[in-house]
Amino acid sequence: MEVDRADGRNPNQLRPLACSCSILHRAHGSASWSQGFRFIQTSHFYHFNLFVFTSKCYFCYWVGSGDTKVLAAVYGPKAGTKKNENPEKASIEVIWKPRTGQIGKPEKEYEIILKRTLQSICILTINPNTTTSVIIQVVHDDGALLPCAINAACAALVDAGIPMKHLAVAICCCSAESGYCILDPTKLEEQKMKGFAYLVFPNSILSVLPEGSSLVQGEPMEHGIITSVTHGAMSVDDYFHCLERGRAASAKLSDFLRRSLQSKLPGDLSKAE
Amino acid sequence: MAAKPSTTTTAKATYSPIDPTRKTRPPIFSGSDVDWLRPDSRGFHQCRPAFFRTGAVNSASGSAYAEFGNTKVIVSVFGPRESKKAMMYSNIGRLNCNVSYTTFATPIRGQGSDHKDFSSMLHKALEGAIILETFPKTTVDVFALVLESGGSIRFLVKQVDELDTLWFAVGDLPVVISCASVALADAGIMMYDLVASVSVSCLGKNLLIDPVLEEESYQDGSLMIACMPSRYEVTQLTVTGEWSTPHFNEAMQLCLDASAKLGKIMRSCLKEAASDEQE
Amino acid sequence: MGLPNASEDLSSEMEVDAFRRLFPLRYFERHLAESIRPDARSLSRARNTTISMGAVASADGSALAKIGSTTMLAAIKMEVMTPSLESPDEGCVSIDFHMPPICSPLVRPGRPAEAAPVVAKQLSDTISSSGMINLKELSLVGGKAAWMVYLDIYCLDADGALFDAALLSAVAAFSNLQIPTVSLDDGKIVMLPEEQKEENSEKEPVNKEKRKLTLGGIPFSLTCILHKNYILADPTSEEESIMETLVTVVLDSSNQLVSLYKPGGAVLAYTSAVQDCIALTRQRVKELHQILEEAISGMEID
Repeated sequence: MEVDRADGRNPNQLRPLACSCSILHRAHGSASWSQGFRFIQTSHFYHFNLFVFTSKCYFCYWVGSGDTKVLAAVYGPKAGTKKNENPEKASIEVIWKPRTGQIGKPEKEYEIILKRTLQSICILTINPNTTTSVIIQVVHDDGALLPCAINAACAALVDAGIPMKHLAVAICCCSAESGYCILDPTKLEEQKMKGFAYLVFPNSILSVLPEGSSLVQGEPMEHGIITSVTHGAMSVDDYFHCLERGRAASAKLSDFLRRSLQSKLPGDLSKAE
Repeated sequence: MAAKPSTTTTAKATYSPIDPTRKTRPPIFSGSDVDWLRPDSRGFHQCRPAFFRTGAVNSASGSAYAEFGNTKVIVSVFGPRESKKAMMYSNIGRLNCNVSYTTFATPIRGQGSDHKDFSSMLHKALEGAIILETFPKTTVDVFALVLESGGSIRFLVKQVDELDTLWFAVGDLPVVISCASVALADAGIMMYDLVASVSVSCLGKNLLIDPVLEEESYQDGSLMIACMPSRYEVTQLTVTGEWSTPHFNEAMQLCLDASAKLGKIMRSCLKEAASDEQE
Repeated sequence: MGLPNASEDLSSEMEVDAFRRLFPLRYFERHLAESIRPDARSLSRARNTTISMGAVASADGSALAKIGSTTMLAAIKMEVMTPSLESPDEGCVSIDFHMPPICSPLVRPGRPAEAAPVVAKQLSDTISSSGMINLKELSLVGGKAAWMVYLDIYCLDADGALFDAALLSAVAAFSNLQIPTVSLDDGKIVMLPEEQKEENSEKEPVNKEKRKLTLGGIPFSLTCILHKNYILADPTSEEESIMETLVTVVLDSSNQLVSLYKPGGAVLAYTSAVQDCIALTRQRVKELHQILEEAISGMEID
């Protein structure tokens, strides 16, 4: 069954992605990640943007789909860990800066989810007793904010040269009443739909090993869920449906992430491609 | 469906349907005050039934739960454990106390904040009874949470946060002190003796032992004793308000007798717990 | 466990204890290989669970839930508010989760626990997602007055699976809720005193028949640890600190998935593991449903 999306995308279509690294000079690593178009920034439009943040979301609907954009900066590894952290491992600290206002409960939850997600992809035993700070600045939120932040943080960690096991790619899937699911929803779609899931997968790895050798429990490594957060009730089948769509899309995302990270590598490596 | 506008963050002006203006002051100053019954129909010199149980919190080194009528308190003891890094070296142990209230402790929803005054009073009441020399360089933490504050629902209107302004109320502190000393004993912290604490309110000519908050809001004076019953030593004595000397002496004696009895209840609770463990 | 009577027994006991402290992961893995856990549970078994209703007299609804030694006290206080313009005939539910310093050696006064706001957020998301509470039922006078439901959950003892116990206590507190009878007096809502309920006719109670909430799909949850190929249901805090990958599944009584929460963790969840966790939760939902029913009927007998 097909659905009409306000911005004319088909259900499986992501918004156009953009990623740029090393955009901040003082940070050890930084990246911006955006999903969606940025409309011409007239002062008039900016005014609407402000409205978006007072949670009157139908304004986005008027001006078409907006974009979700997040900046991530990485500082570290710095010496020492905070209290209650294991000094035998590197610790990761996440600071979430909302676009406006104070940090509240939802932001605290995002911080913890992001921290746990990044902890599971970084190799923490290489730099014991150090802290790496990841600062997330929300530039614009039009749905799928947490996945966007995870992608940005991941790119920024690579930019800062923090040792990692693999990359992570995050995606948001919405599930509607009739069982179909749409990818990368805008904020309006998130609210209209029955439920949605933020899913994070490892990126697909390029390996010289023969096909199938990296299967875990009969599935390729990149099908394992690193993080899953859901909102709204849905049937179990709907969830697995989302999972399937999310996995398919994550392959595309991980290609994009790899390409945009490779382009900034020192000349010979990217030329060898 | 999905994200409903979050209701928690918006600070809406809400109020409790319990009418705070309905205050009926008991005819305590009328001549026939002897016939006046206390809200929980106790005699003037009768304490509320006391109940103690140890081992309420498994993750603590020692803990106790106390219930005096409607007042319900949990105390956890942690340690002796490493002192805060900023602390100077000390060859005796440190005691760190904290008393906090739940938001639903009082009939009208409060803020559930820490109670600084009670924290320091609890510290003073216990300090003298603990043999601090037995755990040098380390800290014992005594944390209390008042689950429910005493007092009958219809009349009590003072919020816990306002207790500071109600300057003579000791509120639930005696229960917290007694409960804390049972928790310390449960944690195996060396003490000279258990600390039992009882308060007395003075209303006109009458002395009311173990008052509930409601009675305290009408009182003329209050006296609270924390003592070690088997040594007959006082660790803390707090007197506020108006007292005549004979009244005061009578109240002191009343408190000391009551704490001796309370001490026995606390002791039997600990003995029971110890004999259960052996079986 | 008997008392050690010979010195040999004592020394062997000391060794096990030392092993547990020095090599916690190996200690657990040795148990897991035998399909048993150190507290003698099988891997998929949850701890003993109890609910007692009406634990707090000063609240309008309350419950104490215990899963193993994890203890949660939930209490509901009703206050009156003016509903917002967008939803004039709806009340509000505000959920807060507290971890006072008594509950765990890791929490110190003045420094709130890191986990507390996250559990609070998860709880309010879960309860609003499940549609358990119909906010329309909380309306008193359309556009003028509605109930603001303050649900506060206190963790009295933290020993793992905090969210599960908190959700259980919250659900139980809602089923224990008795809405006070109130009347409209000078534009303000006031509570009717007990003795006036029958004969007083000039003050008509505005919510005579609405004393209980009808609860929709009731959500129940189960937290599992993923470690290698093992799935451990209902972990203790020791297990949570050693094996860090947690998955929390929330299902409602009609087996709808309300939430599947996995915040990172070193172990990846593959389809089969997710299916296993959901299957375990299905079983647990049945158990919890029965425990809750028993607690409710136990209240009615009293």
